[in-house]
Amino acid sequence: MEPASEILIMANPLVVLREEFDDWAILFDPDTGSAFGINPIGVMVWKLLDGCHSLEKITDIIREAAEEVPEDVAEHIRDFVRATVEFGLAGPKAA
Amino acid sequence: MSPSVMKSPRSVDIEITSFCNLRCAYCSHFSSSGDVDTDLPLSAWLRFFDELGRCAVMTVTLSGGEPFMRPDLKEIIRGIVANRMRFSILSNGTLVDGDMAGFLAATGRCDYVQVSIDGAVDITHDAFRGEGNFQRAIRGVRILQEHRVPVTVRVTIHRKNVRELDAIARLLLEDLGLPSFSTNSASHMGLCRKNAEMTQLTVEERELAMETLITLKEKYGGRISATAGPLAEGLVWREMEQARREKRGAMPGRGYLTGCNGPGKTLAVRADGMIVPCLQLGHIILGKVNENDLLTLWHSHPELVKLRGRVQEPLEQFSFCQDCPYIGYCTGNCPATAYTLTGRVNHPAPDACLRLYLQQGGKLHKGFESPEPLQGMTR
Repeated sequence: MEPASEILIMANPLVVLREEFDDWAILFDPDTGSAFGINPIGVMVWKLLDGCHSLEKITDIIREAAEEVPEDVAEHIRDFVRATVEFGLAGPKAA
Repeated sequence: MSPSVMKSPRSVDIEITSFCNLRCAYCSHFSSSGDVDTDLPLSAWLRFFDELGRCAVMTVTLSGGEPFMRPDLKEIIRGIVANRMRFSILSNGTLVDGDMAGFLAATGRCDYVQVSIDGAVDITHDAFRGEGNFQRAIRGVRILQEHRVPVTVRVTIHRKNVRELDAIARLLLEDLGLPSFSTNSASHMGLCRKNAEMTQLTVEERELAMETLITLKEKYGGRISATAGPLAEGLVWREMEQARREKRGAMPGRGYLTGCNGPGKTLAVRADGMIVPCLQLGHIILGKVNENDLLTLWHSHPELVKLRGRVQEPLEQFSFCQDCPYIGYCTGNCPATAYTLTGRVNHPAPDACLRLYLQQGGKLHKGFESPEPLQGMTR
């Protein structure tokens, strides 16, 4: 699924965010046993998948918070969020 | 080389009960420091699981004693599931029934139930585990399979089954159709210390076990595994001998006490609620569940810090390792076995020492038997 900028995405509350070394983290789905490594920006994005922040808003926050943000950051964030949805780690907020 | 420590333990090993319906001759639990006479009540475990959930622990391994002895096991597992964790169970398999297997399957969170089976026939398994328990364990495996609970088997190799390994592999992988099984051998912990002569492999039997298991591992495409015991030793020692013959430099991560990375990623809890670094190091008490903050212990308990520092201890400092040609390829092996055999955690474990094995007349398996003796060694 391709999340549109205005769609609100929510992290699956069952998924565990395990922050590991150097601000890297693992997203662990206890129902499947799957674990996905994510980088510090991924951690920031994940924490914003609360059903209140649109992709556009998340991108703005990342642009402000991180250093040396690439121009195509919005695309990276969209890809990341799309992957979380595909793997069942997140989904669109129910209307 | 600096020890890596996770922000919280990734997994926790829990002796959920100190009671068992069997008394296997080489049980590592009974007569060990974890052999306590009180089990923590359900309410205390549930409170502790809440803490594990807050710490983002991913998996819990339940052992004992025999976990299925606990009448409140379902409530215990519900507490694990409610805290977003997965679990596995180490069992003798004799108490598994359809109701429990159905429950385990329904949770969707069971990584596996590991059943101990040590023989291909009753007489071998029952020799050290008690009459009737082979059939009960096999029945347990079949019930778990019927309910689609992931099931695996651990084979403890000892003097009475070492000549039956082919038949055991056939039973487990062909007749029962298990995807895999693992092996170790009667070690130096718990009751095994008392029954060592009866259960522990001689040098010749160790050699036979290594040879057979490596052949079986190849035959079954890697479906047999081990982290300790003859199969693990056979594979690692082959690699070490190869390195010595080729006069290679030290291997990465070897030459120091790097044999265990458990203290950087896992913790354990005895049945009485005492938190320990590992169930095999049950005498090192770090604190008690629900009384000590887990993360504080994890990050700053001096005993844990000391254990993590093992990886910075070079093997060359130990008189035991002096002049060893394998020193740059060796990890010093298990700290718990080192403690049991030498009284020191920060020491190489003599039982898994390749040089000692060769000095005792042991041979490596095919392909490594060509006469190239180590200096000063007699065969």
